[in-house]
Amino acid sequence: MRKIIAMFLTALMALSLCAFGAASAESTEVGTPRSETLIVECQSAASSTAGQFNPYMQGTQNGFGIHQLLWSHLWEMDTVKGEQFGDLAESMPVSNEDFTEHIVTLRQGIKWSDGEDFTADDVVYTVNMILTNTGIAQNAYYNTVFASVEKVDDYTVKFVTKESFPRLSQKFGVTIWGNDLRIMPEHIYSKLDDPSQFQNSEPVVTGPYTVKEYDSLGNWILYERREDWQNSDVGVITGVEPQAKYILFKYLGDDTTRQMAMMSNQVDILCEVTPEALEVMTSANDKIACWYPDYPYATFDDPCSKGIAFEMAKAPFSSKYFRWGVALAMNFDEISMNIFEGAGRASVLPILTATTAIQELYYKPIEQWLKDFELVLDDGTSFNPWDPDYKDRMAEKLSASGYDIPTDPIEREAMFGIGCWKYAPDVAEKLFVMAGLEKKDDGWYYEGQPFTFELTYLAETEAQAGRGTLAAYDQLIKFGFNCTISSVNSATWTTNDQTGNFELGGYWPTGGITKDIYSQINGWANDLIVPLGEIGSGQGSRWDNQQATDIIHELATLSPDDPKAYELGIEFLKVATEDLPFIGFHSGTKYVPTNSTYWENYPSSENAYNGPWWWWSCFKFIVPYITPVQ
Amino acid sequence: MRKFWRNSNVRLKAGLIVTAFFVVLGFIVYYFPHANPFSYNTYPKKLPPSGANWLGTTSMGQDIFWLLIEAIHNSLSIGLIVALIGTVVGVFVGLIAGFTGGALDRVLMVITDTFVVIPSLPILILMTALMKGRSTVILMALVLAMFAWAWPSRQIRSMALSMKERDFIQTAWFSGEGTVQVVLTEILPFALTWSLSNFMNATLGAIASESSLAVLGLSPANLISLGNMIQWARERNAILARQWFWIGSPIVATVILFIGLFMLITGYNDYMSLKRGR
Amino acid sequence: MKFWKYFGLRLFTWALTIFIGVTFIFFIPRMFPSDPVETMIGQIQARSGQMDPAEKAALRKTLRVQFGLEGSLSEQYLSYLNRGLLHFDFGPSLMNFPADTRSIIGKYLPYTLGLSLTSTLIAWVIGNVIGLLAGFRKDKRSSKILEGIAIAIYPIPYFLVALVLQIVFAFVLKWFDLQSFILTNNGVWQFVRSLVRASILPGVSMLLLGTGWWIISMKSLAATTAAEEFVLYARYRGLSESKIGKDYVFRNSILTQITALAMSLGTVFSGSIMTEIIFGYPGVGKLLQSAILQSDYNMILGVITISIVAISTATLIADLVYPFIDPRIRYS
Repeated sequence: MRKIIAMFLTALMALSLCAFGAASAESTEVGTPRSETLIVECQSAASSTAGQFNPYMQGTQNGFGIHQLLWSHLWEMDTVKGEQFGDLAESMPVSNEDFTEHIVTLRQGIKWSDGEDFTADDVVYTVNMILTNTGIAQNAYYNTVFASVEKVDDYTVKFVTKESFPRLSQKFGVTIWGNDLRIMPEHIYSKLDDPSQFQNSEPVVTGPYTVKEYDSLGNWILYERREDWQNSDVGVITGVEPQAKYILFKYLGDDTTRQMAMMSNQVDILCEVTPEALEVMTSANDKIACWYPDYPYATFDDPCSKGIAFEMAKAPFSSKYFRWGVALAMNFDEISMNIFEGAGRASVLPILTATTAIQELYYKPIEQWLKDFELVLDDGTSFNPWDPDYKDRMAEKLSASGYDIPTDPIEREAMFGIGCWKYAPDVAEKLFVMAGLEKKDDGWYYEGQPFTFELTYLAETEAQAGRGTLAAYDQLIKFGFNCTISSVNSATWTTNDQTGNFELGGYWPTGGITKDIYSQINGWANDLIVPLGEIGSGQGSRWDNQQATDIIHELATLSPDDPKAYELGIEFLKVATEDLPFIGFHSGTKYVPTNSTYWENYPSSENAYNGPWWWWSCFKFIVPYITPVQ
Repeated sequence: MRKFWRNSNVRLKAGLIVTAFFVVLGFIVYYFPHANPFSYNTYPKKLPPSGANWLGTTSMGQDIFWLLIEAIHNSLSIGLIVALIGTVVGVFVGLIAGFTGGALDRVLMVITDTFVVIPSLPILILMTALMKGRSTVILMALVLAMFAWAWPSRQIRSMALSMKERDFIQTAWFSGEGTVQVVLTEILPFALTWSLSNFMNATLGAIASESSLAVLGLSPANLISLGNMIQWARERNAILARQWFWIGSPIVATVILFIGLFMLITGYNDYMSLKRGR
Repeated sequence: MKFWKYFGLRLFTWALTIFIGVTFIFFIPRMFPSDPVETMIGQIQARSGQMDPAEKAALRKTLRVQFGLEGSLSEQYLSYLNRGLLHFDFGPSLMNFPADTRSIIGKYLPYTLGLSLTSTLIAWVIGNVIGLLAGFRKDKRSSKILEGIAIAIYPIPYFLVALVLQIVFAFVLKWFDLQSFILTNNGVWQFVRSLVRASILPGVSMLLLGTGWWIISMKSLAATTAAEEFVLYARYRGLSESKIGKDYVFRNSILTQITALAMSLGTVFSGSIMTEIIFGYPGVGKLLQSAILQSDYNMILGVITISIVAISTATLIADLVYPFIDPRIRYS
């Protein structure tokens, strides 16, 4: 016994000996001064491909700061205005009349981090590299688009497309997150045998930071500001010096761990957390804040609304009456409360997400139409499903529980959206009967069989989607359906979605960030539908609507700036709403916490110089404005 | 019965009481009428414990007490089914292999070894991906049982091998008893002590495996089990938000259940050796 | 002579076990409705929005060819048996394409092995010593206390033990980092120091639970053995308690435990998943988990094949060593 105690004590001593030498308040674990180091959580898990910074070698973890700080695109996204601007390109492309030739003028004065000038040669080389190297994932697609890419002079490039291609900057510049076309240095890449097999551990870049050090186990990457930051794209465009000498991108582990790291000031920016986590963190550490200083804290401008998708190649989900029945059988107020305690902007129209821009451009213009919209029922009556009172109801409910909710209708609209679908179980019952269902004493029947269906959601991804599906399941059970729910991993889901091996799914085949919605909706054309079990290139939901398809085909040929395109977009939204291929819940609601112990002036609702999208490539345009705390 | 109670030791008694308590909770109290505990917003959210909600409510407005009862019911069912299948199959295969020897032994052991060497958790993760939400308590138990029999059967076999050489078995053999009889009268009682502690371990293992899957977010989404209950609380940040009754009750229940089961087994072992007069 | 016959047979079953195991593990993931190409496309869409249909079709075609998923199932299987089993070459990791599976596993395997083997062995030794004491001298107060501690810790779900350790020692006391932080490029001394620092919490968490099980199983074995006639007989002969403990009870009980140890090495791979996730410790458990979630066939095959070979070999060795420890068993 005594021996055991002695052993235990020795072990304890050894333990405490190792316990010292951790990161202190003055320096980070990697030895840089804390006051000069901005610590950012990486978007992905720890990387298995450490030391790989070449975006054209597959497996490179771009979300690890690589596309945020190192590489640049031709066009970047201004996430506040919802418009693109030139990054390496000086301006938007100028196309000929039938959109087959596109002249791109490049920005002058940008230098690679080894001092070479950035010129048209780099752009021409990069695109041609993709066109000729079959090891690059985008190779096949670029070959379907481009006929040739030529240098006109040192700062002008001519792209020739095989067909009319009115959306060059949307397709090959950033709209959401980032884009595959990142320009590589010609003077380095052209010397390689196979650029798709090149790790590029010491990258030469156009962005404002270079790689100083990285963890070979893939847990962190330390970036250092370029000495000649003035020559980087950000330097040339903004002229503002990035204040952080070092930026450390770090993998922080599971949800509990990242919260603890944030509370103890070991990280300055987290990607995204749940509202419960934010509440805990802000109450423990008053330096931690989010997009809004008070309720609702989150930003609602992530362009993917979450909701319920249907597999419409299967009966009775193919019936629009069934889908409308589901929409009206669910109490949206309760769903909101169950997802993020009522926070979230209602984005109930199918396919298009009510981001701030889209709400103004598409939702509000059809508000009157929604108020007049009627579902004609079997018994000759009709029913208007639109519920414009949602924002006021939620505002009162939340005010009553102690939150400070604005009274101004405009602010309320920005917070809760313009409305939702009514909760009308009695009408829902009639709709289900119209869809061929039958209600008996012991529940619903379809074609003589007891009716049951399954809701599916992704296990390990977005909390908003998972909770939404669980809340919908709860509502449908309460309505009286005998449905089941399952969570699957993303590997299973992505295949099931494509082959149509699901019934109802909590998923987000939605979007909406730019005024031109073509690239959001073109996957819904019915000529892309393949039989169940096969994998096609359109939406797995298999929405077969000729009107919508005609609109998509017409849009394809129009310039995004054509006023006709916008009108068609509005028309599409009405067609989709009537048929309801997707029931939206809320726009992408993101809790994006920042810690102002060491750094401040992060973008926020009161200082919205950019959106809070640290994991998008536009982060390099946020960095110069983040300043050290004095 | 009364004699049994008088002869048994403290552990056995305590273990019996605790286990019986959980069985009562899981299989009797469970049938008392109550609202579906899974259903959201049955009650106001985040209530502290009170007369109406003995353990308070969750962030989704569910009653924690009834959630817990349902979780105990399902987890116990899974654990017991898995342990029963695992132990019965394991002992059976192990004894046959150990005592018959020869070709049969080798075939059985190759199969057993295959199941022993395949790491179970990855396969379970894969299996749950296939089952999807259609899985029920029974199905979940069957999947877990796939891996529960191999280890005991290997253990029992090596026990049998070692026992085969011992004097009292040899004596029985020489006195003309058949293999089956030797196994039944001499070996089985001996193996039973070990099997019972294995049974406890298998119950625990099954509940723990289910918890691991749950914590990875892969237990069926609507199966109320102890593991899933912990996971739901974790997902809503109950640990750092200090919602102790929510996160704590399934954990405390799991811990007490296992301690109870364990005391039952060790107590039983002591009782048996006492009864055997040794 | 008899030994060699036994050895040959045992070697044959060893090979057969591995063969059946890897066959099983080859076909199971392929029966599932998931597809690495779709997963990859899904991931791209999840972060950068809906993909253009033409782009999606083109990308799908490119990836199918690159990932080598074009051949028939039997062709893939044969090539896997040839390359994977004989050369441990599992092809490129699909999620980290074109990085080589073998080199990725090779980078993380030492960490998993080091941590798990060390903690398993320490747990085994401590657990068996305490268990033996508890089972053999079960009336002693100290053994009762130790056993009580083991019983109280053992049933706690693993991730909870890990979380509590992490919260207390890394968050509140700040003795350790919240996430393992291993410096690999600052020289050997820095590396060892940071490795030890990073390994303590995960190691202790594994040790705590592992020890509990060994105590419990050893105790029940020792108690059973101690009650047997030959032990009683030894007592009648007046042998000292420690001699009885060492020569009779220990030698007889440890056998089962050795097999158990060999087989528990199997949990090295799947058991480290939770540890690695919570403490952010580098290793193949995490690799395996993300490979399963992303249906990276080659990576799943790589990790599990290595695991299967390692465990079968460990049990093989245990079986061969057995008769040297227990003279009652003959090679048969």
